[in-house]
Amino acid sequence: MNLLGLALRNLRRRPARTGLSILGIGLAVGSALALIALSHSIQDSTRESINELGDDLVVTQKGAADIFGGFIPEATIERVAAIPGVARVAGELFMFAPSTDQRSVLTLGWPETSYLWSRVPLREGRLPQPGEHLVAVLGDAAAAALGKKLDDELTLIGENFRIVGISNYTTVINRGLVLVPLIDLQEASYRMRQVTMIHVNVEHGAGAVEPGRVRAAIEALGNVTAATANEMLKNDRNVAVLDAVSLAISIIAVAMGALSVLSALMMATQERTREIGIFAAIGWSNARIMASIVLEGMSMCAVGCVLGVLLSFLAAFAFPHIPAIGNLISFRPSIALIAPVLGAACALCLIGSLIPAWRAIRMVPAEALRRM
Amino acid sequence: MSEAIERGSGSDKSPESEPLIVLKGVSRSYDGGAIAALRGIDLQIAAGDCLAIVGASGSGKSSLVNLLCGIDHASAGTVLWEGRVQRTRRDWARRRRLDIGIVFQEFNLIPTLTALENVEIALFGRGLSAPQRLTRAAVMLDRVGLEHRMHNRASTLSGGERQRVAIARAIVNQPKLLLADEPTGNLDSASAANVADLLFRLRQDTGQTLILVTHDDALAARCPRRVRIKDGVIIEDIRQGMAFRAGELPATP
Repeated sequence: MNLLGLALRNLRRRPARTGLSILGIGLAVGSALALIALSHSIQDSTRESINELGDDLVVTQKGAADIFGGFIPEATIERVAAIPGVARVAGELFMFAPSTDQRSVLTLGWPETSYLWSRVPLREGRLPQPGEHLVAVLGDAAAAALGKKLDDELTLIGENFRIVGISNYTTVINRGLVLVPLIDLQEASYRMRQVTMIHVNVEHGAGAVEPGRVRAAIEALGNVTAATANEMLKNDRNVAVLDAVSLAISIIAVAMGALSVLSALMMATQERTREIGIFAAIGWSNARIMASIVLEGMSMCAVGCVLGVLLSFLAAFAFPHIPAIGNLISFRPSIALIAPVLGAACALCLIGSLIPAWRAIRMVPAEALRRM
Repeated sequence: MSEAIERGSGSDKSPESEPLIVLKGVSRSYDGGAIAALRGIDLQIAAGDCLAIVGASGSGKSSLVNLLCGIDHASAGTVLWEGRVQRTRRDWARRRRLDIGIVFQEFNLIPTLTALENVEIALFGRGLSAPQRLTRAAVMLDRVGLEHRMHNRASTLSGGERQRVAIARAIVNQPKLLLADEPTGNLDSASAANVADLLFRLRQDTGQTLILVTHDDALAARCPRRVRIKDGVIIEDIRQGMAFRAGELPATP
């Protein structure tokens, strides 16, 4: 037998308390992972959706708090297109457009000449034809969520759009998109001659202008910012708020888990005061006594962390099957997310174990032995 | 008393041995001094001594034993182990790990561990591998006649068997000092006799110092030296061949 064996045996002596403590840690770690992964997944989904459209840079209004919050004059599109090194540009107006049943769908308006139309992966139907108005292409997930099919009508901001195509994007956000002609969305939303974002492809290969110079030239137009998808999301206030909220709730969740370890160990050491006195009486050092208690705590922590990770993977498996979640974001726990959460959980559980261990070694052995 | 009692000549040192433990003016009080369990104790115990500490319940016997093995601290005075002051809890923990074995009246075994594991845990921190620890623990259980019960949990053993396990645990490190605090107090008469015989036999085999705390005069009489304590004060120190009364105890070095 060794210290770990002794710790595990002590935990098995109190199966209900040990089980509840482990469950507490598991739920805490699982919740923290789920929250942080969800927060990251929103960024990931957005980044992937932009990357799927093939952008090198996105141009937004300078100082806009989030990607929905800025507007750029449509004329800026031509000015960006004229910058040396820019291969092609496409303006885009996007918003969560109210549909029927008080549902909002992420709707993108593209000019009829936009190169983005040519990249739409159609599953069925067709793209809007030049000069055609009040038509829409739905992502397959959006069509499923709205219960729409080809030639059905979809009401957006009070206007009826006829569904002419169903797209087949791979990223979660793009699968939930509704694509309409830019002019229709501008008129319906009273945002004539405005776009939210300009997609930019820069020239690559020999003779290409350095991307940094292209960015500088775009930003010199005034009141706009050119950035990669990653950079844009990093500066997005909504994403930052979401990150902060997720982090705060995660810390609280993990701290609650650590508190359950602290509580369990405090009770255990209280009950085992005499046993600790015995260890001291047979010559165990303070370090060994502390180690035996900390090992109990960290054993519960380890099992709880495994349980938490399993729960988070279970959530990752289940969430895509829940339309309200799966149609909007993808949920993928990763090593990069798991490691810091587990690190924080272990650190907090260690503190939760050290406190009762410290109390234990401060007892005078003779007094501890007198306790029942 | 069977042995002759004579007046001491001024030295309580055994002629052939050096002091193992020396208590100089040791006091122990509780509740901020309201309760004085021990008062100005001067005691010298030589290596190889076999000593009974006797006295009525509440006389301070257990308080004295707690100080002798360092599981409690003195309110005043000094405790020396082989001439060195033991100042910290760490010092005492090391002493108990290496040099002191304790047998308690209440056995103080871990009920969920087997007899073998209860003995093995006393070997932690000795730099032994698990097989070495288990072998030594098994040898000790064999020595106390419990080889057939070594894999039984302590909670399933009889009182006499538990005390034998406790004795095996106390001697597994081959301590210089074996302290037994009322070791037969919780046993029936047959088990008590067996345990007492075992303690004296072990002491005879090893020559280690034995301090036996008891209120059983018959058991105390088996020890060549008896220290009687009353109201926290040593009132009598009798050894085979010599005796000291209160006020005549020899000065400690």
